[in-house]
This record gives sequence, C-alpha cells and structure tokens, in this order.
Amino acid sequence: MMIAIQHLTKRYGSQAAVSGLDLEIERGSICGLLGPNGSGKTTTFKCLLGFTRPDSGTLLIDGKPLEPATFERLSYVPERSALYDWMTAAQHVELQRRSFRRFDAARARELLEIFRLDPNKKTKRLSKGQQTAVALVLAFSIRPDVLVLDEPASGLDPIFQRVVMDLMIDAAANGATILFSSHQITQVERAADHVAILRQGKVVLDGVVDSLKSDEKIVEAIFDDAVPPVDGLAHDVRVRRLERSGRILRAYVRTDSDAIARQVEDLHPRSVSVLDLNLEDIFLGAVGPDNRVEPFGEIR
Amino acid sequence: MTPVFTVDPRSGVPLYLQLIEQVKRAVALGTLIPGEQLPTVKALALDLTINPNTVARVYRELERDGVIETSPGRGSFVRPNGEPGARRTADDVAERSFAEAVREARALGLQRPDVEALIGRLLDRWYPLADEEPKT
Repeated sequence: MMIAIQHLTKRYGSQAAVSGLDLEIERGSICGLLGPNGSGKTTTFKCLLGFTRPDSGTLLIDGKPLEPATFERLSYVPERSALYDWMTAAQHVELQRRSFRRFDAARARELLEIFRLDPNKKTKRLSKGQQTAVALVLAFSIRPDVLVLDEPASGLDPIFQRVVMDLMIDAAANGATILFSSHQITQVERAADHVAILRQGKVVLDGVVDSLKSDEKIVEAIFDDAVPPVDGLAHDVRVRRLERSGRILRAYVRTDSDAIARQVEDLHPRSVSVLDLNLEDIFLGAVGPDNRVEPFGEIR
Repeated sequence: MTPVFTVDPRSGVPLYLQLIEQVKRAVALGTLIPGEQLPTVKALALDLTINPNTVARVYRELERDGVIETSPGRGSFVRPNGEPGARRTADDVAERSFAEAVREARALGLQRPDVEALIGRLLDRWYPLADEEPKT
C-alpha cells in the first residue's frame, strides 16, 4: 500500500473536520476524492503531508510514517496558490531545481511550454489558472512517486483540464501514486481508477470506479396497482435505499442487482428494469438526499 | 493503423466493459486483424484520457478471453488464431446486443411467444430464405 490513512481524526475547536477517516491507495493508482465543501478533503491532505497535526490516527506513506526523505519524491499542489507573488515562474523553477535532487530541467521546460506560461512573468501578474499551472509545472518537474493534488484543475480552461488529466495518467503509468480532489465528477471518472466519497469527515463510499458502476444499480418495478408490502427488501443489506410512490418501486442496490430484480419479480410487477448509475448518481446517492440542497461548487 | 476507440466516462457502464466491447467488435469486423499490434497500455490510456489500470484490466481480460496475447517486452497482439477465434468474438459481441434487447423486451412485459414472433419477423427480413425476396 503506497498511502494508508487509518482512523484519522482532526478537530478544530469542538468541530471535527475529519472524524475516523480510513483510506488506502495502492501503488500506481489514481484515487479521486469527492465530497461536498467542508467534508474534510483539504484537512486530510494537510494531515497526510504533516502540515497539521492530527488528533489521532495513523498516516503511512510506503509503509512508513512521514519522514524528511519522503518529501524528496512527493509533490503537493494546494488548493490555493503557495507561490511567491514577487517571483517569476522561471525563479520558482530554479528554486525547485535547488531543492529537489530528482528535478528534471528538460521536463520543466516542456511543462512550461505545454501550459503556455511566460517564464518571466511574476506570480502577481498571472491569472488564478496560470498560477495553478505554475504549481503543476513544479509538481511534475521532480518526477514524483507520490502526488497529492487539491483541486488541480480549478481555474483551468477545458483544454488545460485535459492536460492535467494526461499528466496524472502519464505519471501513474510510470508508477506514481496519486491522490487528488475534484468537484468535477467526470475528471474522476476518467483519470481515477479508485474513488473515495467523503461526507462529514468520513469516507462513506470507497472503491474501484468501474466496480462501483458494476455493483450500484437501480432496480425499478412498475405495478398495475399500488406497490405491495416490501418488508424483506427494506431490511436487505444489499439495498441502500427504497423509494415507493404510487405504482412505482425503486430500490437503490449496493450489489447483486440481478438477485434483487428476481426477488422483485416475485411480487408480480408489470415490468422490472435494472438501471445503470454513473458516478454522479452514485455520488449524490452516497452523500445523502438531505445533502442535495447543499451548494456543491463546480459540479457539472 | 489502430482503430479509433471511444469511451463515454459519464456512462453507467464501466469503462473497462465499454473498451473490451469495442476491441472485440474491431476484431469481429476485421478492423483489427490477427497478428496486429495493439497500442501500449500507457499510449491507449493517454489517447483516451482514461486510467492506465483500467486499460491494463481490459488487456488482461481480452487475453483471458483469447482475443489478444501479450508477450513481455514486445507488446499485445490480436491472436493469430484465424476464423474460429474471430467467429467466437463475433458471437460474443452479437450475444451482448441480443441480451440487451431481450432484457428490454422482458422489461416491457412481452411474453416469450411475443419475443419469438418478433425475432422470427426480424430473421425473415434480414436472413430471407433462398427462394424468398427480401422484404422491406
């Protein structure tokens, strides 16, 4: 396991930003972290990187607690720019060269070009998107083994958002392990093989994106008359949620949708269908119906 | 030249299933021919902008299904097993479409004899017997 977060808890005053969070990410995997604002994504990153001290829990990178040597091969792009206002992109790159033995000058030049950045412009004269781009150039120029990216595509246009995904894909194909957060679910559906959904400081759903899509389904049945009693289904652990309205029964199924569909058929409905869910449906289902009115920021 | 694969990440159908389906289809249609080399995992992942582990899983499953073979250091190739292999792949692709249609018919409440009659009509249209004119 490249990254292991075990039972992480972090409180700010009486408020728990993260409470009992567990997450494991395999080497070479890209894990996308989804969650409403305030669900604990950034706090988790800060704890993982040692910027803030957790109240409890264990954080391991490559099986070991964070140690200075780990920073040699780790890149972090924070949500808000951590660049010096008065320095140019070229000066930031130079600082990176002096700080990291793994720094790759040719790669840094290539990345500056990919993002069409003027190396001689000072940070304060760059747009928010350009600042993010500089941070990404620095992050990928050291060819890191571990990348932690907090909303790496925010402020970027669709073309550069695609570039960021390609950079992550390229790095993972070369063995890097990546943890990133995003409000853009399609980015997670593309770049990530692993998704973790956070709600109120906990991981509420976690798994391989494709496996979640195989498992999570809606079994929908239409009856000629009112839906009959469905007590058996209501208590089935495979059923996440049951909706009944008039002649329609909808079961949100965690797994085994075919078996649930057969069970529903025994109630002699007029028709039964198994409907696929995309990651957005799964995400909205996992963060709960009462959270649907919350502002989700940039969700498409 | 490698055929163009397209995947829809927003779909509820897992990406690896979408891609397996497309490669099998390309083999069944002859767009990919036996012995032809497939792109590397990394190249195809970057081409489609999807996760490399997902592409690796596709190649593993295609190898298990006998559609491709991978030799370490050389790459992945469509298996040169000629007609029978391509036939089986075509069967696979067609079966998935039929399964989808039959499921839909069942969800719509059609009974078995209805479905049989429906398929009979379609067969008459697309596979007319030798002494019949094709119907339109």
